Amino acid sequence: MSESGEDLQRTPLEAEHVALGARMGPFGGWYLPIEYAGTLAEHEAVRERAGVFDVSHLGKVIVHGAGALACLQRALTNDVAAIQVGGAGYGMALNARGGIVDDLITYRLGEDRYLVVPNAANVEAVEEVLASHAGGDAGVVPRPDLCTIAVQGPRAFDLVGRVVPEALELEYMHGHEVAYQGKPVVVARSGYTGERGFELMPPADLAPGLWRSVLEAGEDLGLAPCGLGARDTLRLEMGYPLHGNDISQQRTPLEAGLTWAVAFDKGDFTGRDALLRQREEGVPARLWGLRMEGKLIPRSHYGVFVGDEHVGEVTSGTFSPTLRIGVALAYLTPRDRFSAGDRVEVDVRGRRGDAVVVHPPFVDRSPK
Amino acid sequence: MEFPGDLRYTKEHEWVRVEGTRARVGITDFAQDALGDVVYVDVPEMGASVQAGSTFAEVESTKSVSDVYAPVSGTVVERNESLGDAPERVNEDPYGEGWIVVVEMGDPSQVDSLMDAATYEAFMRSQAGG
Repeated sequence: MSESGEDLQRTPLEAEHVALGARMGPFGGWYLPIEYAGTLAEHEAVRERAGVFDVSHLGKVIVHGAGALACLQRALTNDVAAIQVGGAGYGMALNARGGIVDDLITYRLGEDRYLVVPNAANVEAVEEVLASHAGGDAGVVPRPDLCTIAVQGPRAFDLVGRVVPEALELEYMHGHEVAYQGKPVVVARSGYTGERGFELMPPADLAPGLWRSVLEAGEDLGLAPCGLGARDTLRLEMGYPLHGNDISQQRTPLEAGLTWAVAFDKGDFTGRDALLRQREEGVPARLWGLRMEGKLIPRSHYGVFVGDEHVGEVTSGTFSPTLRIGVALAYLTPRDRFSAGDRVEVDVRGRRGDAVVVHPPFVDRSPK
Repeated sequence: MEFPGDLRYTKEHEWVRVEGTRARVGITDFAQDALGDVVYVDVPEMGASVQAGSTFAEVESTKSVSDVYAPVSGTVVERNESLGDAPERVNEDPYGEGWIVVVEMGDPSQVDSLMDAATYEAFMRSQAGG
């Protein structure tokens, strides 16, 4: 993979980021802003004021037609039939062994029209899963022409109200299309930071103008352009799993603590039998939060111990800018051994750091 | 980016300020900029013995951890305690308040093998071009 990004997918907003002095880097096959002023300052802007992110790498796939609902019901874990027009739902696509192919949000844009938003690195895998369930009466249409601009933080409402006033009607986890400069733009009350906020999905030709309008509207609100560095510290403070780190094809929703997003009683879907079997036979591990006690910072792949006994591994870890202490997600085994408040140790490059087992989120924030 | 003329530099982006037989050590403006926001510095204990070219400290940013290599051999006689509560000093003032340790040098002539500011800048240009 090239440092300067020649082999990577490019965002239509790249020139905007370069003009803002962003440090760019590779993520999920894309060349994206990692940080502008600095991860700590950007993190604080989102928690206290507002931040804007270019997350155009997020996939977009339209599923439409009379068979769209049936296709999504078989492909995803959540009950898509329960999503009203204008609503959205979080779920997963699984493999036959119950492993997580991707976690994603499905927006119901119309009666028979859905927008599925997978992670960048999993777009093709999700398209394959959807296509395999589509039959003759459902169409699966990738929309790589759509960008995503996320506006997140306590002042996101003030800000977005100045740019796309129709977005203010939305409740949390709802989205719909509005006309922006004569073209349909999906606006949604969703995000990955733990703050209230919006995700705006304009076509590529409108994206630079919308990005600039957001920056202008945010000038007196303390808005900061934010990169993937802050996106990662923000999501980790909430304990949101990241596919490729905390969840993968080798982990099931039962291990990842995502059973709440699995509708066992909706009918068959790929992976359902495997999950029922695992529930019967026993779940080997469970994803927990770890809050460090000292100054050491946990990172992915660090071992977790009780005395000399290896009990798990960190899948994501960072310095929490809000708590000013290390936080991590880690799979601990066996599943039922630990409870919140238990103490473990993390092997931080040969040194043991004390940690407390917790239920995330690590910070008291809510996106609702 | 600044590279003061009175300092000596390593290829691993540490700097040294000679103070008699002692060497004050930190990381360069280039290094702190590449790391991003520094959130933790593991500073060696007083009296620790350090070997030129070996790891003697760690600087950790929001995104990663980096080893710091000793530019000279010797014994740690001062450590920057203030980095415990204010690691951001490494970013804000890498050649001043962001120093990491002072080493009593075993062999002060080791400094002669380090780069001066002009050589360090030329070295970085060649790295950037490669």
